[in-house]
Amino acid sequence: MKFFDLLETAPSDLLKWFVNLLAGYGVPAWLLAVISAVIIIGTVIGVFLGLFALCSVMERKILARVQNRYGPNRVGPFGLFQPVADGIKMITKEDLVPRSADKIVHFLAPVVMMIPALMVLAILPYGRGMVPAELDAGILYFFAVGAGTEVAVFMAGWGSNNKYSVMGAMRAIAQMVSYELPLIISAVVVAMIAGSLSPAAIVEAQGTFAFGFIPGWYVLTPWGFVACILFYIAALAESNRSPFDLPEGESELVAGHLTEYSGFKYATFFMAEYVGMFAICGLLVTLFLGGWQAPLPFLTIVPSWCWFFGKVAFVAFTMIWVRATLPRLRIDHLMTFAWKFMLPMSFAAFLAAAAWHYAGRGPLAWALSAVIVGVPYFILGNHFTAKFAVSNRRYQFSE
Amino acid sequence: MNDLLQKFNALPWDAIGQWLVLLPAGVMLLAAAGAVALRNLIHAALCLTLSFIALGIVFIALGAEFVGFVQLLVYVGAVAMLIVFAILLTRPSDLAGAMSPFAGFGPVGGILTGAALLIALLAFIFSSPAAKTPMPSMPVAPVAQIGNLLMLDFVVPLQAVGVLLTAALIGAAVLAMEDKKP
Amino acid sequence: MTLQILLAVSAVLFTFGLVAALTRRNSIMVLVGIELMMGAANLNFIAFWRFSADPQALTGVMFAIFSIAVAAAEAAVGLAIIILVHRRIRSSNVDDAEQLKG
Repeated sequence: MKFFDLLETAPSDLLKWFVNLLAGYGVPAWLLAVISAVIIIGTVIGVFLGLFALCSVMERKILARVQNRYGPNRVGPFGLFQPVADGIKMITKEDLVPRSADKIVHFLAPVVMMIPALMVLAILPYGRGMVPAELDAGILYFFAVGAGTEVAVFMAGWGSNNKYSVMGAMRAIAQMVSYELPLIISAVVVAMIAGSLSPAAIVEAQGTFAFGFIPGWYVLTPWGFVACILFYIAALAESNRSPFDLPEGESELVAGHLTEYSGFKYATFFMAEYVGMFAICGLLVTLFLGGWQAPLPFLTIVPSWCWFFGKVAFVAFTMIWVRATLPRLRIDHLMTFAWKFMLPMSFAAFLAAAAWHYAGRGPLAWALSAVIVGVPYFILGNHFTAKFAVSNRRYQFSE
Repeated sequence: MNDLLQKFNALPWDAIGQWLVLLPAGVMLLAAAGAVALRNLIHAALCLTLSFIALGIVFIALGAEFVGFVQLLVYVGAVAMLIVFAILLTRPSDLAGAMSPFAGFGPVGGILTGAALLIALLAFIFSSPAAKTPMPSMPVAPVAQIGNLLMLDFVVPLQAVGVLLTAALIGAAVLAMEDKKP
Repeated sequence: MTLQILLAVSAVLFTFGLVAALTRRNSIMVLVGIELMMGAANLNFIAFWRFSADPQALTGVMFAIFSIAVAAAEAAVGLAIIILVHRRIRSSNVDDAEQLKG
């Protein structure tokens, strides 16, 4: 028991010990504050860059296993040192810039892409009392800073002076803007029920256990389940991941806005995309899956930050799984899906959450919110799938 | 972390605090000058985006964090992207031809008008006694209170803005739709 | 820092917006000028709220929020009109849109 308590407070204890050590040497107060902030920021960025490196190889291995082949398995044990080989390749590749490209804009686009991806990591609650920046309007900060990604995508597309890049950038921005609406409305649903925009408060509000063993996470309510699915799909679209990766598909637009980028700049875009994916997984975990809360009362001995990163890893795994499974959506299908299906469903989830709250949060409230969310789903679903029937699938395996 | 927070709060913020506002304000003015004067339309639009970001940071530094984040979300994420899309959709056929020299008789008339207005405004500002007040301490603008005010005291403007935004959405979509040839 | 400096900054930003709206030939640049002017007005609201006698009433903040919403709606409709006019007269020059007959 004592060991687990020690593990729980290990990160903040380490920081306090170091700061007190420095204070003992007479370092002034303002410098201590700056140093501790730098250590926290460095740790968070270091952890997420490490996760990025791990994810880049795990994604290829999981995709490979789904496709009945091995992934990279030559560099290091089980191929786990592949990111090192990838990094060396990216750094030593020639950095080509088109002659008629807009030099400043082309150069700054990867930088502007990386900055929001790293900045949004500041408000996620990594454990009990472990938020780098405790903002009153944290969720709003996440979306406001995430809007900077669209500027970067445009700069990348325009700066390359290439028709396909511009077209890819415009499609990517249209997709991001369209899917921002269900994303933000799903987040607002949770903020409405939790009563605060601060991620730490939202995680605290999910700390109850109904009947003694069912966790009070919002994903386990009818409106929360729908909002979580909508947030998940919109998160896939925001990070330009399959099945929404038309803007960067090789067979469609020659890698779209990333066409004219090679070497380290491409690696920066790649890094920004993965770190952004982890950030939005982190937000999904915070809003719907209970953040650092344990699922069962007796499991609270496991440290809170372990639960947070475990849940984020699980959600990232499902994102990779979805990528391996589903085909790419066409641009008009993508936009139709966002505006005609996801937006009305997010409004339905909003209404269902309000009904759940005002009907007393009891059994009647659960039934009412399930109806409010289920009826539009069946009506819209029937409307959109009425035109084609899906026949039985015939599987063919290689011998 | 409480003792660390106390040491942090005891720093001489009055001396540093004004640079937190003046530095982004300076960047904002420089970027706005770029947005006005640059010939290449896309560069002007990107300078405008930088100016909006700096204005958002000024709002946050002045204590209105909610307004700052809304400024970043709405202006940078939506208005700036709209302006850029409009430039891309209405430019001449060659990709690099998005240049825009000055109107009619040159910029002289506009600059004179602007200079006259600036001199008049600065004269009013620096001669007004009320504007010499010193800086009060940082006010607290909790989001919960903004929400309460929006829903209780300002509910009529909120609903009106909702109707306005819906009308603007439908209107813009109808306006920009391609005419269906019969 | 007194209120004067913030008001002076806002006045300079407003002047930049005015010069852009008056001198630029492209209609989108005129809209850029208008957005700069509205940004200057928002900065004025927040500056006066910061230095006000009762900041807890949050009046300036409310004003600024509504102003941002209205500016966004206006930018959207304005740009849609610019695109529509461009389709008719194939030019985004304000000097070219001079005929009343559509």
